Amino acid sequence: MSITVVKPGLQTTIQSRPRTGLRHMGVPACGAADPLSLALANKLVGNHWDAPALEAALLGPTLRFDVPCAFAMTGAQAAVTLNGRDIPLHETVFANAGDELVTGATEKGARLYIAIVGGLAADEVLGSPSTCLLTASGGMQGRVLEAGDALRLKSAAAPEKLQTPDEFRPPMLASWALRACASSETHQLSSNSRDQLFDTNWTVSRRADRMGLQLEGPTLDVTSDGRMPSAPVFPGTVQCPESGAPYLLSVDAGTVGGYPRIAQIARADRHLLGQLRPGDRVRLLWRDAQNAVDDLRAKIEYWRQWLGDVERII
Amino acid sequence: MLKRCGDDLLSLSVASPPDAQALAAHLRQTGAWLEVVAGIDSVVVRFDATALGAEAARQQIEHVVAGGVPALQESEELLEIPVVYGGEYGPDFNELCRDLGLSRDAFIALHTGAEYRVDMIGFTPGFAFVGGLDERLRVPRRKEPRQRVEAGSIGIADGRTGLYALASPGGWSLVGRTPYPLFDAQAAEPFPLRAGMRVRFRAIAADEFEV
Repeated sequence: MSITVVKPGLQTTIQSRPRTGLRHMGVPACGAADPLSLALANKLVGNHWDAPALEAALLGPTLRFDVPCAFAMTGAQAAVTLNGRDIPLHETVFANAGDELVTGATEKGARLYIAIVGGLAADEVLGSPSTCLLTASGGMQGRVLEAGDALRLKSAAAPEKLQTPDEFRPPMLASWALRACASSETHQLSSNSRDQLFDTNWTVSRRADRMGLQLEGPTLDVTSDGRMPSAPVFPGTVQCPESGAPYLLSVDAGTVGGYPRIAQIARADRHLLGQLRPGDRVRLLWRDAQNAVDDLRAKIEYWRQWLGDVERII
Repeated sequence: MLKRCGDDLLSLSVASPPDAQALAAHLRQTGAWLEVVAGIDSVVVRFDATALGAEAARQQIEHVVAGGVPALQESEELLEIPVVYGGEYGPDFNELCRDLGLSRDAFIALHTGAEYRVDMIGFTPGFAFVGGLDERLRVPRRKEPRQRVEAGSIGIADGRTGLYALASPGGWSLVGRTPYPLFDAQAAEPFPLRAGMRVRFRAIAADEFEV
């Protein structure tokens, strides 16, 4: 019972929940870069939110179903066909044995999620089946998919056909706003740079992946010498390296770093980091830490109506 | 002493790496935190902001700190790490020796002549920050980090030796490489090195390098 990878796409990995509680050993979170979209896809095939699914960055894979199979796609806008016919995102699709799914380049947003009924079989390492490219572990032998791979299925159940209600389809944009709070070294920014960090319409550079995203815009300066004793960093930490170009850490980022931490993306908006693509515009919106928690509670209450225990997801 | 550094992060300043490790270990044992991560001179706690208010988190941490933090249990085990110095394994070795005014043998004698403690593990799985480098071997980090440093590489920077358990980008000057496995995700004990552990380096010849 499997799905054959005909073309792997640019960077397609099996992702699930993050690894938590191990950062003190240097273990990065990994997991879906946009966990909300992963949960939305799994919901449409009756899976638990973190059932192992495919995450495809910028250019999706071509897959052949060797058995009848229900699947669903969410996340980045992309043209998708099943045996040459266009099929929509955000609804349960039933494929027959031999059907071929072709996913193209993402047009808005960076990552497409493909959930399969029952979830994909995956290597579980350190508490999660998510692929960790750095340690070459988890998921599919710790690597991106390759042509000829067989994705093993765990279930042949036929789920109820569902569609994500319109109000629960996250908009995919070319211009994003991320709420952010002060971090440990925010005070080291010169006052001009501090204004620029929050007033600039930044551009996401070509250096944008699961480790982090470099922003292009004005050069920021810090009043220190720009180096500091290695200190803990997390997904959502905004670093200011010596180049002065802010670097937003994402899910695969290392656990400590030696550059000033000039902001922290609020938990409510960290899932958006997975959808920013090179060339997108992004603004950071200053939030007091307590207001950011209120934002998070409001977002959880909203998504609870469709996804249930969303505080485990974002 | 406690500083909010995000909507779900609280940071504490400490004096030294052993203090950071001891405080982090104690906090992990006494609370249900999402993450407790030690740096060189700080500890950051990630709490679940949906379940616990920041003020409650702050009070809980202050209460634990006020109750006293047991010193880090320092391991008496001494781990010897074999290193091939220079050549293709240590691309910065010759230049470093020149900059520091040391012969190759003098550098190796200094580096292998001391016993060190692991200050912390972090950055990537198993990356070890080993403190106590001889002052004659002090160099800053490289200005331009390398995009890729091979697994097993041994670098020095800022008075420490860094052990790259995995291939990753990195900014330390590379003096050699060890065949000793520093991380194995499949092993029952994936991390052979732990903070507080004693280590020594031993020079081996390039033809003894076997992973």
